[in-house]
This record gives sequence, C-alpha cells and structure tokens, in this order.
Amino acid sequence: MTKPSVIVVGADKGGVGKTTVSRTLLDYFTAHHVPTRAFDSESPKGTLKRFHPDVTEVVDVTSVPDQMKIFDTLSNDDSKVTVIDVRAGLLSPTLRALRDIGFLDSVKKGQITFAVFHILGSSIASLNEIEETASFTADAKYFLVKNYVNNTSFFEWDQATHAAYFKKLKDAVEITIPKLNEMAYEQVELASVPFLTFVANKNPKGDAANYSFVLRGYVRHWLGNVWAEYDRIKLNDIIGAAAAANGPRAQAAARS
Amino acid sequence: MAQPTPIYIAASPRPRVGKTVLARLLVEFLRSGGRPVGAYDLNPREPVLAGYFPQLVSPIDIADTHGQMVLFDQLIARRPVTRVVDVGYGAYDQFFGVMAEIGFVREARRRMMEPVVLFAADRAAATVRAYADLRRCLPDITVVPVHNEFVSVTCDKDDFPPTRTACRMIRIPRLSQLVRGVIDRPSFSFAAYLEATPGTPTEIHGWVAGIFNEFRELELRLLMGTLGASLSRGGGDW
Repeated sequence: MTKPSVIVVGADKGGVGKTTVSRTLLDYFTAHHVPTRAFDSESPKGTLKRFHPDVTEVVDVTSVPDQMKIFDTLSNDDSKVTVIDVRAGLLSPTLRALRDIGFLDSVKKGQITFAVFHILGSSIASLNEIEETASFTADAKYFLVKNYVNNTSFFEWDQATHAAYFKKLKDAVEITIPKLNEMAYEQVELASVPFLTFVANKNPKGDAANYSFVLRGYVRHWLGNVWAEYDRIKLNDIIGAAAAANGPRAQAAARS
Repeated sequence: MAQPTPIYIAASPRPRVGKTVLARLLVEFLRSGGRPVGAYDLNPREPVLAGYFPQLVSPIDIADTHGQMVLFDQLIARRPVTRVVDVGYGAYDQFFGVMAEIGFVREARRRMMEPVVLFAADRAAATVRAYADLRRCLPDITVVPVHNEFVSVTCDKDDFPPTRTACRMIRIPRLSQLVRGVIDRPSFSFAAYLEATPGTPTEIHGWVAGIFNEFRELELRLLMGTLGASLSRGGGDW
C-alpha cells in the first residue's frame, strides 16, 4: 500500500489564486488517474466545490470534527492524495494545527507525504508569510508559487530582499503559473466546470457543451504549461503516483 | 471516401505583395466552380477584399480575443463551405500565433478540414525568414509559396521549399500596367470576365485562365496527397 499524500494550498492573503491552483492540481491528478479527494476550507460556501463537486467537501479546518474528518481518514480512504484548499488567512493557523495534532510528526517519520503550495502575493508581506510558514514545513515539500493567472505582477519584490528570504528556505522550489487569457478564464468561471471538462467541451452534467474553440484552445495550452511545471517538480514522483494509479479505484476510474 | 474541405489562407508578413489579389482570385475560382464560399478579411483598417465581395466577406479584427473567437470558431464550424482568409500583414503574427496556441490545425483535421497557407513569397529577407519561422511554428501545415511576378520579378525557389513535395510554387504572371488598372476596379470580376467577354482571348483571359489552372492543379495535388496518404495508412485521414 502506498502512503497517503496531503497537499495544502494556501496563502495568508486573499485573491492570489489559491483555488485556481487547487483546481489545476485536481485536474492534473485526474489526468494521471490518481485517486484524489479535496477539502475546501472556504466554509460554508466553497469555490473549489463548485468546480469539483464530486471529490470536494467543504470543511472548517479550525474545528476539531472537521480536522478528524480530514486526517483520521487519511489511511482508510481510497484516495491516494488529499488536496486542502486553505482559506485566506488560515495557512499559518492550519499548519499550527497540523503540528498540534501530531500530523507533522507523522510526516517526519515518513508515514505521510506532505507538500505545501504557498501562493505568493505581489507585496513584501508575502515574503514575511514565507518566514512564518517555513518553521512548520521542515519535513514537507515546500513550493513557492508565483501565480500570474490573474495578472499579478511581483513589482514590490526587490531582488536582494527576495534572495535574502529565499536563502532561509534551502529546499523550497519555485513554481510559476502563467497567465491565462482573461476571457477564457471568465468563461470557465461561468461554466463552473474543471479546466479539463471545459477543454473537452462538456457541461457540468457531462453533456456536450458549446464553448468557444478558441477559448478552449487557450485553456488547453495554459493547462499544458501549468502541468509542465508540475512535471518539472516531479509531482507524480513525490506523491508516488505510479503506485496509486495502479490501485483498484484508479483502474476503475480509468476504465470509466 | 470523404475529402477534407480546404481552408485557404492568403498570407505574407509584408504589405503590398498581392495577398488580396490572391484571395480575390481564390474566391472567384471557387465560386466559378459553384462551390459555396465564406471569406474573412483580416485587414481591419483597409478591408479591400470585403469591398469586392461585401455579401461574402466578413472583416474581422483579431487583435482582441473576441475577434479571434469570431474568426476561428467560424472557420472550424462544420458547414459545407470552403473558407478563404486574407491575412493582412498587421495580423500575420497574431493569426499564426493564435493558430499554433489553440491547436487549430489538429482540430480542423479532426473535422475533415485542411488549412492550406498560400504564402506570398518575395525576395525580402524578412519574408524568407517568416516562411522558415512559419514552417517551424506549424510544422504540420501545408504551405504553398506563391510567386507574384508583379511584386518581384524573380524569386528563389530554394528559399521557399514546399511543405509537401507535390505542392510546388504557384506562379502569378505579371500583367501589363494598363490591364492591371482594369482588374483593380471594384466592380471587376475575374470569373465573369472569363465567361462574358466574347471574341479573341485578351491578356486578362490568358492570365486568369492560367491562374485558375494553377489552383485546379493545386487542388488535384492535395487530393492526390490525401489518396496517397489514405492508401499507405489504409484509412481516410488526411
């Protein structure tokens, strides 16, 4: 049996594209037939759940019952990967809670694979967040995500300051999410479907849709570039995707 | 066996090299054969092609995403229409850039359409470079170089190697200056002239008939290519 993987996607600032990144991760694992579940901490109304309703549950990560729902089921659930989309402002408290419940100890012992996708904002405050969260992620795979999808420009980052912060994180890896054509992004939002479903021209029920071929092309090209970044960091190797993709649930999903 | 419907794209990265004349000739050639035609003029500032065929040609500005959607979504629509696109030099980079990014050629073939670029060749180094770049950027697309002798007297064929061995360079012969003025008139129709003018063939007769023959040969070569590929693969894919 492969060990479970938990991927936390978060930032301490809102509007930096956490849910967009979570969506690309879910699409990536779907494409690789890796059984995945997701938790959306934007309680009570989750954006991630709107796009991936079948695999997503809305939770309050600060409440004990919901923490049990996520972490007590890691070994029992068929899903190999758990993606947690952490609401703005809750990244540090969530990591603290993970330490308090002994989750980080299990990571240290090698019982669980843990990855953090820290979505960076444009301001210097983002760099301060890195310092704060880094103390919890010594045994995790730590990814710093520069997300250009919603036109962020990292204008406030002085190169020397940037380098000084990054030096403190010897194992952190940077990921760049490229910009997506605005109209294409908006149409996927309106369609309320995963990016992959939009590319396949399907509606939320799985029936044929009538999305623009041009916009689908833009999304396909963009998603390909995002996934190239995930391939570059060997995300599948990190979570042991090959073993997971051979599991019974993955095989059933692949057949369907 | 069903044949792919061509999407003809008259293009060059340089202005005033005869793209619109080429597109006009194509539209008239197709119409003279009784084929339904849909054409697009990507010269938003000066839609000359649209001026010749106002009922048939849609002027489109592809500088923004909306215009790109209007053009490419219509080009890919499953309708029994042969499309002709006049790509103005200002839209050249954008057109082929979007085409490559959205995977247009692959989708067109999936829908039994075949994009064919008629590339207006000339001696300028920029044109030679653009031709090589186009082949690199869209390696699967059929590109047919067109040498318009009115634009440049000579043209080095080695600079414009065909993408398929069978698709050789199309030559548009030079017309005398006087006759050139006649064909540039907004009301002038090549096909109507061929049919309607009685008596001894004129310079224009020979010129138009020769070019239409080149187009016929091109279509035949494309068809032979399809058949050949189909036979070697044992299927009907272009």
